Formats: sequence, C-alpha cells, structure tokens
Amino acid sequence: MKKRVVVIGGGAGGAILANNLPLEDFEVTVVDRSPYHYYWPWLLYVAFRGSRRPMRREIESLLKPGINFIQSGAQSVDLNNRKVVLEGGKTLDYDYLVIATGSRPTYEQIGGHEKAVEKYGDYHSTVENAERVWKSINSLKQGTFAVVVGGDPYRCPPSPLEGVFLAEEFFRSRGLRDRVRVVFAVPYPRPYPAEPMNEVVEPLLKERGVEYITFFTLDRIEDDRKVAVSMEGEELKYDALVVIPPHVGTDVKISPEDVLTTDRFIQADKYTNNIKGFDDAFVIGDASAVPVAKTGVTAHLQAEVVAKRLQGEDARNSGRTNCPFDLGYGLGTFVISDYRNPVVKLPPSRFSHMAKMLFAATYWDMVRYPELWNPIFEAYFDATEPAKLARIYV
Amino acid sequence: MPENRLKVDARGIACPGPITELVKAYRNAKNGDIIEVMATDPGFKPDVEAWIKRTGNQLLELREEGGTYVAVIKVTAKK
Repeated sequence: MKKRVVVIGGGAGGAILANNLPLEDFEVTVVDRSPYHYYWPWLLYVAFRGSRRPMRREIESLLKPGINFIQSGAQSVDLNNRKVVLEGGKTLDYDYLVIATGSRPTYEQIGGHEKAVEKYGDYHSTVENAERVWKSINSLKQGTFAVVVGGDPYRCPPSPLEGVFLAEEFFRSRGLRDRVRVVFAVPYPRPYPAEPMNEVVEPLLKERGVEYITFFTLDRIEDDRKVAVSMEGEELKYDALVVIPPHVGTDVKISPEDVLTTDRFIQADKYTNNIKGFDDAFVIGDASAVPVAKTGVTAHLQAEVVAKRLQGEDARNSGRTNCPFDLGYGLGTFVISDYRNPVVKLPPSRFSHMAKMLFAATYWDMVRYPELWNPIFEAYFDATEPAKLARIYV
Repeated sequence: MPENRLKVDARGIACPGPITELVKAYRNAKNGDIIEVMATDPGFKPDVEAWIKRTGNQLLELREEGGTYVAVIKVTAKK
C-alpha cells in the first residue's frame, strides 16, 4: 500500500517536498488555492529595477508527472483525525500531512498602512504593489525616500536593506542623489539585526550617504502630513514611503488550535519539522514557528529533511540559512548561519551577486528536477558551512 | 486594567536575531504589560540594554541561567 501524503501549498517548500518523494512508495497530493507558484524574491527587481521578467509558473508544470494537484484552498485541518477539508467541502484523508502555506503580509497592525501601500506600493505582497514602488521612485525628483521596517516577522531578512541599496543606486544613476535623501528606519539597535552581517553592510550605508534611524518601532503613517510616527512618538518625514509589512501565518483552520502561535505560525520541532505533538504531520518553510529566518532556502532544506524522514531516514535540520543579499552596484553577499553558528561576516563581492542571479535563473529547473540539483546543492552547502567560513572571514 | 505577561522564546535564533522577537512582542503590547524574553544569542544582552535606554521602557530584570538570557521588561514608553 502506498502511503498517502497531502501537501498544503505548492510554493517552494511544498513543490520541492512533493518532487523529492518516490512515487512508487507514496501517493502525493498537492493542494493550493492558487494555480501559480511565485518566485517571490523577484518582487525586489520589479520594484527597484522595473523588471518585467515573469515571476510565476503554473504549479502543475512544476510537479513531476504522477503527483496529483488540486487547485483549492484548504479550509480546515484536523490533526487528530488525519483529515483535510477543502474549500467546497471535499475531504482528503492522509497518512502524512505537510503544511507549506507560507506567510502573508498583514496591514492591520500599523495605522494608515493600507492607504500607504495603495499610494506608494510595497515589495512583499503582489506584483502590482511592486510595480507601484517602481512608479513611486520614478516620480520622486526631490525630497525623502524612506524605507521603514514595519514589524516582524517578514519574508527574507535582507530584503529591507536590499530595497534601500537598490533605491540609492537608482537615484544616483538618475543623477538625483543630491536632491533625494534615502532614509532607512528599523526597530532594531542597528540596520541589520544580526550583528556580524551588520558589520558588513553598515559601512556601505555610510559610504553611500544613506541615513538610518534605529529603535524606530512604527506605530502609524499619517500621509496627509507625510510622516511616519513611532510608538514613542518620534516622527519621520518622507515624500515617498515603502513599509516592510509584518507577516502572519496560515489562514487555514487547524485543530487542535494550540499548535498555533498568536500570529498563526505553526509550532514544530526545529530539527524534524514535526508539528508539536504529531509524528505524522509536518510544517515547513515560512508557515512554521521554528526559530529560523523566513526564506526560500529554509523551506527548501526543510522539504528535503521531511522527504527523507517520510522515507524512514533520521534526517535533521541544521538550521542553515543562505540568504542572498543584493548590495547594489553589482555587489552581493550571503547571510549564512545555522543553529550552532552565528552569521558569517561574508564580505561584499561580485561573485556573490552573480550567484544570486544564477540561482534566480535556474530556480524553476531546481524545483522541478531535484534529482539533478540535490547533489549540486549538497556540495555547495557543504563547502560553505558557517563553521568553515567563520575560519576564513573573521 | 489587568497587566498581560507576554512570554517570548527566542532561544536558538541566530538570524535575524532575538531582538526581532522582542520588537514583535512590543508591537502587540500596551503600557503596563510585562514582556519576558528568553534568548541564547550572546548579542542579546547588550541589545536589550540599548533598546531599553533608547525606547525608555523599563527593565525589571536581566539574568543569565546556564547559557540562556532572560529579560523581563515592563512596557511604559508607548505614546
């Protein structure tokens, strides 16, 4: 008898997991409310480079033949009775469940947020909103362009500063840098929250004349006065504003409810991704509450671990992150760490930027053909273990 | 109004770091609430101290127990 695996979500985590399961042993069903899988990191280039490169593919085209795909949202999950109820009422029974529903921005925590997004856009939600950012920076000929981290968590820890670096480069390339101030505000003690990576990026901000405000916890946006106001009453004046939206977890009803945190992320073992209290249910990627960055690489590595565990192997997560970081002007770095090692001080290089772009170029192939790409990634992750890199980049 | 006690477990977070978890709890808190954060990242102690100094909230306790830092904060600075 084949084991029935239900995967909720056909994004990076869900699709990679499904494609890593041998179909001789598993009957795999992927459900997603959207017919499309999005390569979310590309929103950055839609917003700050005006890229028109398509950033989505049909989920079905990314799954191996033999995997079932149902285009439907999941309405509820009953972990005790091993049932998933789809919107429309159909019920799926499973032997194993993997929740990979990601995270989504919320605009309810910050006053005036939704109106600000309608006006200036953002680059953590939709292509349309990212296109609005492109319009905003193109119409700003003088004044202050502000990027504000609105709250945690959000997808891709480097993304706020990537936007800042690309915006600075944009205004300089248009010859407007002496008329446009670029300001970055964060609730943290420093521009990048993890100290070692901050030591890499803070000098670049200074060198490029980007102003930054720390300990700024955004409370509300008063667009009629063009100010962003912190919880302690500090005001930041702007002419165009992009807020990094705080994200929340799944909107699927899950029983028992105590596996969820207050912001609806699912609690799980950080090494095995087992949902708290369940050996037949897993959560991978952004949807989980495990203490690791919300990023595609996490979803990818967790998907591989869960696929191995379903096949009886005692695979465990190392907590590895490998977040590509665009520093502007063709430079990049990677935020590399794991559960046991702090973030590496990887210096800016053209090579890291190229690696980011190469990854974007090969992304769809990587999702579709894990049998070809897994050995390549394994070699890469082995060569770039944080403990090894920490000896080189002190 | 009764005060809430918000417990935050930020142990094991290297990137983006435990300070992000404190900030998240702070956003959802109101004046008078108590936030208790546990973290293992060694950078957490100076970060909490700097955060308290700049935001004007109150640090009730900051202790270390076997490699885990525990910070107990009273939210007082919200306008």
